[in-house]
Amino acid sequence: MNVYEVFLKKPGRDEFRHAGSLEAPDPEMALMYARESYNRRGEGAEMWLVDRADVLVADEADLDVNTDKPHRHNDGSLVAARRRDRREGVGGDE
Amino acid sequence: MTYSPAVRDHLLAFADDEHLVGARHTSWIGLGPFLEEDLAFCSIAQDELGHGIGLYGLILDDDVELDAFALLRPAEDYRSCWLAELECTDWNDSLVRHWLYDRAEALRWEALAASPDPAAASLALRAQREESFHLAHAEQFMSRIAGTDSTGRIADSVRRLAPIAAGIWDPTATEDDVLAEGFVTTSSAQLAARWNDLIRADLARWGIDVDWDDAGVVGAQQHRTQRSDGFAAFHADLQRVLAVDTSATW
Repeated sequence: MNVYEVFLKKPGRDEFRHAGSLEAPDPEMALMYARESYNRRGEGAEMWLVDRADVLVADEADLDVNTDKPHRHNDGSLVAARRRDRREGVGGDE
Repeated sequence: MTYSPAVRDHLLAFADDEHLVGARHTSWIGLGPFLEEDLAFCSIAQDELGHGIGLYGLILDDDVELDAFALLRPAEDYRSCWLAELECTDWNDSLVRHWLYDRAEALRWEALAASPDPAAASLALRAQREESFHLAHAEQFMSRIAGTDSTGRIADSVRRLAPIAAGIWDPTATEDDVLAEGFVTTSSAQLAARWNDLIRADLARWGIDVDWDDAGVVGAQQHRTQRSDGFAAFHADLQRVLAVDTSATW
């Protein structure tokens, strides 16, 4: 048996989302079981299946090095605050 | 729509088959060979029960309570075939029954879809969409395990169940009237011939070399008026909850 990852997409502009996984002997039966396991109530309008063996998995240690870099969380709020302060005459040392 | 007694009996036979085979399939809930198959097989069971409800709905007057009719009738008032009544405690048997039954069921819906009666034809069209999934499931599962049936258990199930399955084509006593009315245009005998060709072609494609003897089921069912040996226990089981309080509203 192979493991397949199941992705469903609702109608409209939503993206595909991971719905779960299942075991099946081959792709044809995987599609049939996916329908019965994850779309029993018509949860999706489109479905993707990916053989788990085809999923490239990153090393978690490689991902961990980027968890403490708050400067990369720039949402513009610091710049916006400084511009507001200048406009309102607060600070204005530049 | 009011149907003639002959048409009513014809539809009742189909309804009882769907109801009972669906109920038998549900015995695998939680026990299927693996989780995914458990869900798929129970979906099929649920579909068959739904087909049964649809067919009962065609023939029952509005004031007749469906559960009571489906479950509490005397045994002699059922028109089910013995294959639908049969208890299959072995997965191989259940799978083979599912394949034999759905091969026949698809032909019965096809015949009904061609009926001039709009209610029956529309129910048939809806059921055919589900039936294509049932057939695909049977084909996929059977074709995969057939090649690995080194113990011959699948072949053994076919040998025992195919003769009982032939009882699906035992017509009700008044089928000639149904045909004369034009409600359907294909007889059970005509469908039986097509079914026989289909199941033998399936077996040849899957490489299952098996033949069987006629078990005389068609004659013994006596136009579906006789119940099989295990029916009484099955019937009691189906009634168990409802019989606790027949006046309760569910």
